Amino acid sequence: MKLLSRPDELRQALGPLAIFAILLALISVAVPEFLGGGGPSIIAQQATPILLVALGQCVVLCIGSIDLSNAAIALFASILAALTLGPLGAAAPVFCLIVVTLIGVANGLVLVYTQIPSFALTLGTLGVMQAASLVVTGSNVVYVMDNMDVVGWLFTVQILTLPVAFWIAVVLAAALWAFLRFTVPGQGLMAIGFNERAAGLSGQPVNALKVLAFGLSGFFAGLAGLCVISISGAASSIGLGSDLLVPSIAAALVGGTAITGGVCNPLNVVFGAMFVALIPVGSAAVGVNPQAQSIVYGVVLIVAVAATMSRARHGIVK
Amino acid sequence: MTSLSETGSGGAARRRGLAARAGLAELAILLALVAIFSVLNPHAFPTLTNLNTILNNAAIPIVIGVGASLVVLTGRIDLSVEGVMGAAGMAFVLLSANSRETADIGWLAYPAALAVGAVLGGTTGAIHALAKVPSFIVSLGMWYVGLGIAAVLFGYEMIPFLGNEAAVAWPTATPLGLPNSFVLALVVVGLGWLIERYTRLGRYAYAIGNNESVARMTGIPVAGFVVAIFAFAGACSALAGVMGSLALGAGSATVGVGMLFLTLAAIVIGGTPLGGGRGGALRTVTGVLILSTLYNGLILVGVDPSIQSGVSGVVLVAAVIAAGWSQRARLRVFK
Amino acid sequence: MIQTGIPRQAPIQLDAGRDGTAPILRLSGLAKSFGPVAAVKPLTLTVGRHEVIGLIGENGAGKSTLLKLLTGVHQPDAGTFELNGRPVRLKGPQDATEHGLGIVHQEQSLFTNLSVAENIVMGAGRKGSASTRGGIYRWRALHREAAEVLARIGSTVSPATIVGDLGFAERQMVEIARTIHVACRTAERQGGAPLVILDEPTSVLEEAETAVLEHEIARLRAIGSVIFVSHRLEEVLRICTRIVVMRHGELVADRPVDGVTEADLFRLMIGKDRHARTREAVPPVTGTPVLRAEGLTRAGAFHDICLDVHPGRITAIVGTFGAGREALVRALFGAEPLDGGRLEVAGRDVVQWSPRRAIRAGLAYLPAERGVESAVGGLSAARNLTMVPQGRSWLLSPAGRRALAEEWFGRLDIRPNLPGQDLARFSGGNQQKVVLAKWLRLKPRVLILDHPLRGLDPGAGATVNACIRAAAAEGAGVLLLADTLEEALDLGHEILVMRDGEISARFDRTTDDPTTLDLLEKMV
Repeated sequence: MKLLSRPDELRQALGPLAIFAILLALISVAVPEFLGGGGPSIIAQQATPILLVALGQCVVLCIGSIDLSNAAIALFASILAALTLGPLGAAAPVFCLIVVTLIGVANGLVLVYTQIPSFALTLGTLGVMQAASLVVTGSNVVYVMDNMDVVGWLFTVQILTLPVAFWIAVVLAAALWAFLRFTVPGQGLMAIGFNERAAGLSGQPVNALKVLAFGLSGFFAGLAGLCVISISGAASSIGLGSDLLVPSIAAALVGGTAITGGVCNPLNVVFGAMFVALIPVGSAAVGVNPQAQSIVYGVVLIVAVAATMSRARHGIVK
Repeated sequence: MTSLSETGSGGAARRRGLAARAGLAELAILLALVAIFSVLNPHAFPTLTNLNTILNNAAIPIVIGVGASLVVLTGRIDLSVEGVMGAAGMAFVLLSANSRETADIGWLAYPAALAVGAVLGGTTGAIHALAKVPSFIVSLGMWYVGLGIAAVLFGYEMIPFLGNEAAVAWPTATPLGLPNSFVLALVVVGLGWLIERYTRLGRYAYAIGNNESVARMTGIPVAGFVVAIFAFAGACSALAGVMGSLALGAGSATVGVGMLFLTLAAIVIGGTPLGGGRGGALRTVTGVLILSTLYNGLILVGVDPSIQSGVSGVVLVAAVIAAGWSQRARLRVFK
Repeated sequence: MIQTGIPRQAPIQLDAGRDGTAPILRLSGLAKSFGPVAAVKPLTLTVGRHEVIGLIGENGAGKSTLLKLLTGVHQPDAGTFELNGRPVRLKGPQDATEHGLGIVHQEQSLFTNLSVAENIVMGAGRKGSASTRGGIYRWRALHREAAEVLARIGSTVSPATIVGDLGFAERQMVEIARTIHVACRTAERQGGAPLVILDEPTSVLEEAETAVLEHEIARLRAIGSVIFVSHRLEEVLRICTRIVVMRHGELVADRPVDGVTEADLFRLMIGKDRHARTREAVPPVTGTPVLRAEGLTRAGAFHDICLDVHPGRITAIVGTFGAGREALVRALFGAEPLDGGRLEVAGRDVVQWSPRRAIRAGLAYLPAERGVESAVGGLSAARNLTMVPQGRSWLLSPAGRRALAEEWFGRLDIRPNLPGQDLARFSGGNQQKVVLAKWLRLKPRVLILDHPLRGLDPGAGATVNACIRAAAAEGAGVLLLADTLEEALDLGHEILVMRDGEISARFDRTTDDPTTLDLLEKMV
């Protein structure tokens, strides 16, 4: 038993890093100019919004739920930022973060009060957020007119050749990791994921923790939205950031997060996000049609969940 | 604890009684909507043209709903609808006479497109049932796979327009007094009803949705039936993709956009709860008609059409909440 | 002709050949252990034709394990198993049914959304039925087929009715009909007779419904045989032709019903009637009770429960499955809602009760289903030990956790001594000790223990019992749902007996000195 579980733990701890390293190595061999020619910086830039959405998702996955709406919330946040940066200036990002965090909290409150499955609830929220994005933008592209410098530095300033936003996301991942491991609510979130009833009977505030998880998901989605606006300077309901849902879930799962709950390592999600961001480069390198990218995302998602799911505790899977 | 909750739900089932089983409440909602919008907009809403518009709009979600209801009856869910529609729709267009002159296999393009859908759906079902991965996540992945296939088929060339004018005009023609698309949808509903009522596939779907562990104990090969049901649902989505392509007169990867919300909301509001075991295709028809009437009426009243997915989302959540309200309990595990 | 559970080389010849054919069921030397616990010791049993066997025994006597062996849920460790003269190895309940052996469970296994007819025919197994051949349902033929089966057991339920609309007894009839439908067909094909097991069918039935059931059993007897499992002894005596008693995993008696009285059965179930083993002084009732319930009621589970738990004393509650004691203690802890009554903790009324509030008020609850409700597998033992949130600090202290784990691993002798290891990798007994330590370290006012020894080997059981006594000695009021009557007698200072959701008797160990028989008589 002990012998068997050791490789298991090793796989859990180092698997995501290994998968990322292998893909990176393959690409470096196939496309030698990738590493030298600013490739890492571009990958880090693309990985950042995915990583931030995935960090929120991994907290929700940690309690055994899923948030299908957070990518749409991220997009909504970017639209909101594009609209408010001009009039509000430096206060706009704060305003956006508060709004989307509250949307996440609302998700959580409805969930614990009505006890409906999270995927159904957040699917509904996804529809509402899509509609909200369309209505707020009038189905047009919204350009940031003024005060672009409030968010612009996130991707123009670089540290060690990578954009500062990426480093901020990594620091947040580390903070989230520490939160899950060294705090009472963090331990409670994991306990809910592993055994919700036992957590409740041990006095964990299950409902409050679920609201917290969805609130965090909204907050991280908001940060991702700010990154989107910082990269593109414009937002629309079909523009950059409208396609984050599957990549971000794939990033969380490749990062070793179990869809059944409890198992979650935000540090590994960093590698998961970078892996997902490498997919387009990788597919191009091996000659896959770039339009097939979403096939690759879909397949990675399915393979990642099939490979990481522990089925021991579940008799019936629906 | 279990025995308590069971007697509770049994009592509730009795209280719901015959009225709920016949779907009268949903029909009443539909009639009320018609009445309200007729009063609000007496010139544009209650006209034959508008009726045909509503029915034509309802045709595609009804066709999807027949397969998707069967999936939901088993307690599963299929989120891949829009992707399968895109892939099958593009396959259909490229295999028919079109402006790109890719290939023209004549009427065989129809079964070919359905086969694309059935294979995608069957794959979803097989991965879900054999690898024991929750259906919502497999079908979420398959959604993207389907969109990707459609995008690859679309390629970088110009939009492929369908060459067969008669076929393009067919869905909206009204030789029988109703749009052909709606008549076709009714035929599919009839087929779905026959499956649900007279075949083991359909009856076992109800059994699995009611109590899966009992179904296993009874010796029902659950995995096999689930795969078959997903394949059928894929074929339904594919047919919807073909109908959508005919309506557009061209191939598009996003032919199914917005259909997932609409269909899911319609299924739940029609009276098939996400937990499965109750409801069916006929109920979903009512659900789709409710939502189509609602959108149509709102747009005629002057509401921004872009809120459609929001309305679907709200209706979906409200219907799920209403269906599950009586099962709320302390310490209940919900994910 | 009492036969004991000692394995025999040759099965008893008595029933074989009564009809000139093999008996329906013949078990010899059948045994099953779970880890260190022998649930069914080598056991020999023969069921002939046209018999109604009453299978009785206390909770935990091994009845349910025997039934699971019979229906293929568990595989026996040893022994032979013959049905209608052929040795069989059952792969599962469905396989058992197809061999002509059907079981009707207490928890009903019907599809409530389908019609009676479908439920009956759907159980027909892989080979299907004529009315659904080719995957197409012929409804008229299906209803006819079901009506025939129902007529066979004399049921008047309409085949087209939806099962969810039926009452409990009617559902039971449908379940029996479904079971014998397959069992009879197989048995006929193989030239044998069906055997139907009814697992506590009457425990939720009204009197009139029970009468109907008795009638059905009489009809079943004409076709095959019945094993009737029940706690209601007077019913067993009335309905059965032969009675089999299990105790501690052994078959201790097997005799015809003639001349047997309820008192005889009590004695057989209990074995040697005895008083509490311990003679230590019972702590006196002092001060305010730490927990006081007045008229507690929960619809369908228990009603008008009054009890006091005093500091330093252990109150044990005994009762059969379904007597409502599990629901009661869960409600006391706030895990299930109450419909009425007053609850006081240490002299203060409680309102808006929930597990969190209960814990804050000083209650602790050890649930019976460890894997589902108390042990958080995936987290380390040390984290489980410190799972209950305490104080205002949001920060966990790894050092404090290590120190606590070291202390409690030592105190309760938890092995292996690796507090950082995933709790799921500990044995059941050690998991239970960790969960118990989680509560004991909080020094609770009231310690509610729901079957604390379930699935534990004797060594771990002794440690847990010592902990319970120590907790009481330190001033906690203990409320104990014991697995066995002996356990309740040995640990409990006061013993409450529950029957059908009510407290049917109260015993004080010093003043009343009850025996196991006294308790049992008030339970059933």
